[in-house]
Formats: sequence, structure tokens, C-alpha cells
Amino acid sequence: MRNFLIWAVVAVALIILPNLVSFSQQEVLVFLTINILVVASYRLLTLTGEWSLGHVVIMGVGAYASALVTKELGLWVPLGILVGGASAAFIAFLLSYPLFRMKGFYFLIGSFAAGEIIRLLWKRFRDPFGGAKGIKGIDPMPDFSIGIYQFDFFEPVSYFYFSAVVVALCLWILWRIEKSPVGLTFHAVHWQDKLAQASGVNLRSYRTLAFVIASGFAGIAGALLAHYIGTINPNSFDVEVMVFVLTWAIVGGTGTFYGPILGCIVLTILNEIVLRELGLEQTRPLIYGLILILSILFMPNGLESIVQKFTRRKEAK
Amino acid sequence: MFPKGLKNGFSRRTFLKSTAATAFSAGLPSMALAAGETVKIGFLAPLTGATAAWGAPGLSGCEIWAEKVNAAGGIKIGDSSHNIEFVAYDNEYDPAKARTGATKLIREDGVKFVMMLGGDTWPGVQPVADRTGMLFSTLLPSDLSPDTETLLAPTEVHPIYLVTGVQWLAENKPELKTAVMCAQDDALGLPSVATYLAAFEAAGIEMQDEPLLFDPATTDFAPIVTRLLSTSPDIVCLDTCYSDYVHPICEQLFQQGYKGQIISATADFYDQMIAKTSKEFMEGFIFQFPDFDDPALNADNINFKDANGFYAEYNKRFPGQWGAVSWEYAAIMELWKDAAEKAGSVEPDSVLAAMKEGGKGKHAFGDADWWGAEMFGINNALVGDWPVVVIEDGKAVIKGFKSIPDWYDQHGDLLIKHMSAYDQMWNQRS
Repeated sequence: MRNFLIWAVVAVALIILPNLVSFSQQEVLVFLTINILVVASYRLLTLTGEWSLGHVVIMGVGAYASALVTKELGLWVPLGILVGGASAAFIAFLLSYPLFRMKGFYFLIGSFAAGEIIRLLWKRFRDPFGGAKGIKGIDPMPDFSIGIYQFDFFEPVSYFYFSAVVVALCLWILWRIEKSPVGLTFHAVHWQDKLAQASGVNLRSYRTLAFVIASGFAGIAGALLAHYIGTINPNSFDVEVMVFVLTWAIVGGTGTFYGPILGCIVLTILNEIVLRELGLEQTRPLIYGLILILSILFMPNGLESIVQKFTRRKEAK
Repeated sequence: MFPKGLKNGFSRRTFLKSTAATAFSAGLPSMALAAGETVKIGFLAPLTGATAAWGAPGLSGCEIWAEKVNAAGGIKIGDSSHNIEFVAYDNEYDPAKARTGATKLIREDGVKFVMMLGGDTWPGVQPVADRTGMLFSTLLPSDLSPDTETLLAPTEVHPIYLVTGVQWLAENKPELKTAVMCAQDDALGLPSVATYLAAFEAAGIEMQDEPLLFDPATTDFAPIVTRLLSTSPDIVCLDTCYSDYVHPICEQLFQQGYKGQIISATADFYDQMIAKTSKEFMEGFIFQFPDFDDPALNADNINFKDANGFYAEYNKRFPGQWGAVSWEYAAIMELWKDAAEKAGSVEPDSVLAAMKEGGKGKHAFGDADWWGAEMFGINNALVGDWPVVVIEDGKAVIKGFKSIPDWYDQHGDLLIKHMSAYDQMWNQRS
């Protein structure tokens, strides 16, 4: 009952939230919601101990797939988003064959190389990927009404509600996976790989599974992005964007489910709202970088360690 | 979590702004400008990141322009005068951030006109432009299409003006007969490649190899330059490379002993290039963006007011930062101001109508025509003469002005052929 009440309050807060912020902050809220799914899905991969530099490109696979099937084949956008997720998962499955011959640092570099190959393919093949300019005029989510509310998906509030529902559902699935025996095995693959192997766990299969699931959800995030801004290009999914995802995960901490999400929320608000509102448009990268260095120096376990400190104190009392 | 947002969320001001925006988008008459009210202009361009060199210097130029205009009494709309203020948003050359920025500028800041660099960022903004009817400008007319009725390219007709540099080169150095080219493989590089190919073909200059397209993430240009020089070309063309590429490429050309002709769209911060190479090496370098202290810009046909004074003030405030776009956004503002004063209104539709009246406009480098139906599907690019600039004795010098429409009348078919080959015609863009 207590949990139900907490989630009910969270749901009401999320319904009210976009109405409390300015228009541009509503836009930021949409992108933040999508990015939460990106970083949460990335964490699932890191559970197995592997860090990828290709996660954002995989997100782009979902974006391109969804954009193409809706634009060229006329598929209904919500179905297109699912196709985007499935395509990203499928590409990840194919990539897993060469990539999981490597581990650790080699996997990191291998994933970067694989991502760059995909990006180069988008650039090279103007048909159907649009080359360097990418794809524009991507079908938006079709408007509809539920009686008490008219969903106009040009408006960020409507798209926030839609993406919040999708992302919440995805986060719930990710959470259930992590808490399932499969999720526990992911942890074992990372921390007790020899023991897990001795117990009959196929390490490579579980690494592949985590990679494919994480990529599928990243693909859904990419598709959500594509159908909101209406345009994608290879630069939207380059290594610079990947660095942001890594930063959210590192600053937030990857020890808990909420750590990377916390990192994503705090750093996005800092970069996109606080520094801009302070009129520091051109010095944002400098200040952002400084804050990152300071947070790593003084909070090596990430923002989640602060939350843990408070919750432990509460439990001790 | 969102301190300002909370404040804004319930404020009367935000409510009125949102109502006004809704009314505007619904096509209802918008509120007239109050007497003495400051007119806000949006500046939505990259101010940080790899393309910042084509945004930030333009904002500095605009601020100088606004101070000058405001000191002279501001913009005169009907009987009242209004100061001009720029509101900037760094879009980081990202379409999603550009959309957020356009929303902020139009729906929160109440701007009357938005200037952009364009390129990758325009498709993110286009739905906002369509909904609000806001007037936008771009430096990249490849953003234009029949659907972009409120988007203008009033200053830089990139990359079409590049033909003037090649035309001048062919006329003045007819002995140079072979060329090679490299460009970053992106939305700026490709239409530029097509234009240079057309210009070289029109000038009878033979390409020795296919244009060498490199990834925008490239940092090591030694192999690229080695390959370019492998055919011993007379001319090395640097296309519309960002200054982050032009500088290392020139350094490599210098280090690998190249002594031939270089032609490029831009040579931003060329003094630094000279410092890294030599004055002799950079002698004769052809590009398209003059320093505004050039005496040629004092001619009667030049519409950019007091170009020399503008350059002096810019260099005083931002020494060593003059670049290709330092004057361009200010030149757009000059055009916008004239149109707003003529229309007696700052509302986007009135200014647009006044700006395009008679199909002619006052481009910074002389009177020009609203053009582009064939190339862009809409006559929203202001095209006339463009300067050819050559580095002589370590200083950029305008060697002459060439007419883009005249070149197009003779060789337009070549341009269309090469643009089509690179899928750059408006009806080929996906």
C-alpha cells in the first residue's frame, strides 16, 4: 500500500511537472526523459563489467530504423518505435559475435570501432540513410485525444507524457530484469566470472544477452528522439554524445539502478538550465568540465553515494 | 529543481507570452509593439564546439552593430524608435538543442526574428518555424526548399559564391590547369564539393582525382595531404573546411613542401596560419571572406554601412577574432532593419514582404536579386556580387567582385549536374 501511494504521488508529480516549467524547459524535459532510458539501458550492459563506446550509435540504429520504416513503409509510429528497438537489438546481436571475443579495454575500443563503422555506413549510403545530412521530415507521433486531454505531439508537454509512459515501462522492465535470476547472473559474470563459469554459466551468452537487451532499449530511446525532433544525422550519435552518457553514468555512479539516472538528471539540469539561465552560454563546457573533475575528485562513488549516506543514516536511526 | 521555471510557470508574463504565441500561430493579429519597447532578435547558432567559429564571432559583430544602431536612436517603426537587443542561444550545432532554442527565443523571449547558421540544425527548427510563422535566416541556402517560406538566406549564398573564386583564378592564373580537393563529409562539405567541381569544369581546370572526403572527426591530416599531393596538382582546393581543418591541412601542405596554389572558401584567422607556415607559403591563397578594413568596401555600391569602422571596432574589442561570419549576421540585421522600417512593423510577415518587395534587395556587397527557384525550389536567397580575396604580403586583399548570377546564367547546367550527382538539389534531400 505504501509503495502504491509513493508511485501514485510520483505519477501525479510527473503529470504536473511540465506545467510548472517554461516552454524551453519542457523541451529539455522531453530530451531528459529519453536520455534517462539511454543511460539506464547502458547500466544494464555495465552490470556484466563491459563498458561500450557504441551505445549511442546503437541508439541511432533504433532512430534510423524507426524513421525509415515509418517514412518509407508508412508504418504506424508506435510500431515503428518498437521496430527501432528490435533493430537495435538485432544489430547488437550481430555485433556481439566479433565484440565478445574481446574483454575490458579491448571490448571498449572494439565497440567504438563498430560504432564508427555503422556511422560511416549511414554517411556513405545516401540512399536510404540520407548521407551526412541524415533523414529529415520524420513522421511525428500522430495526434489523438483521450477526451479529457488532446495529445498534440508538436507540444513538448504531450510528447513528455508519451515518452514518460514509454520510458517508465522500459525502466520497470529493466528493473525486473536486474532483480531476476538473469540480472543476478549478470552481476556474477562481472564480479565472480570464474566461479560463475565453474557453475555452468556461459559468460559469453550472458554478456551477449545484456548487450542485446541494453541495445534494444537504447534503440527505443533513439526512436523516441527521432519522432520528436523530426530529423537525425550521423553526428547526432557521435562519440561526443557518448561521452555525455559515460559522464552521466560515472558522475551518478553505476552501483545502483538510480545512480546513472540521478547523474543524467543533475548534469542535464546543470548544463541545459542552470548554466544557460546564468547567462554562461559560451563558458558552459568549461564550467561543466570543472564540475565533473571536482565531482570525481570528491565523490568517487558518484552521486548515488550521497543518497546512500542519507538512507543509511535513516536506517540506523 | 527548476527555480526559474517554477517562477515562470505561474507568472502573468509567461501566460501572456504563451497566449500571444498561440494567437500568432493561429493566424490572429498580434499585439503591436509598444512605444519605446526594445525589439528582441534571436541568435540561434553554435557558440561552443567545432562549428562555434561560424556562430560566436557573428554574435560579437551583432552586438557591435546593435550598439551603433541604438546609439543612433534605434530602429524607427512608424513614429516611434526602438532599441534592438540580441538574445542568444547556443545550439551546439545540434538539431534537438536548436529546437529547444527556437522555442525559448520565440515563446519565452518574444523575439521578432531569428538568425541561424543553419545546416544540420535547421530541420530541428523547421516545425517550430512552421507552427509560429517566425521569420528565420540561414547562412546556408541548402536549407531552403519550397516548404521553407519564412526562411531566408539574405547574406551568404553558400556554396554558390565559391564559383567566383575559381572564375577569378582561371582568369588571372590561366597556367594552372589541374586541381585536387578535400572536404569533410558533412552537410557543409558536400554541396561545396559539387559547386567547386562545377566551377573547375566551367573554368577548364581538370580534377586529377575524385574529391577526397574525410570524416569530420579527423585530426591527423598528414595522410590526406600526402594523397592530395601524390598527383602533383597545380591547385589544392580546401572546399568549405572548418578552420579546425584548414589550419592543420595548410600546415601539412607546408611541411610536405607544396608550393602551388591553394583555394578555399574561408581562411579564418589566417594570421595564425601564416605564423604556423610562412608569409611566402600563404602568398596568393585565394578565399572568399574579406577583412572589412579593405578600401574596396568603401565603394558606393557596398550596402554594409561603414565597413571599415565596423572592422576597427571589432578588432579593438575582439583582437584576432575576425572571421568569415563576423560581419554576416550584422549584414542580415542591416537588411532586416531596412525592411522593418519600410514595413512600419517588426512582425515577421510584414518584414518578409517588405524585404522581398520587387524581387530585389540590398545585399552587403551590392544590390542583388531574390533568387533560387531552380537550385532551392524557392526564391529566398539574395544573390549578387561576391568578393574574391587573396592573401598578399600577409594581408587579405579584395581582388575584385564577381557576379554569381552572371556565372550561373552561363554555367548553371554544370552546377545542377554536379549538385544532382551529390544528391544536393532541393528535391533530392531526404
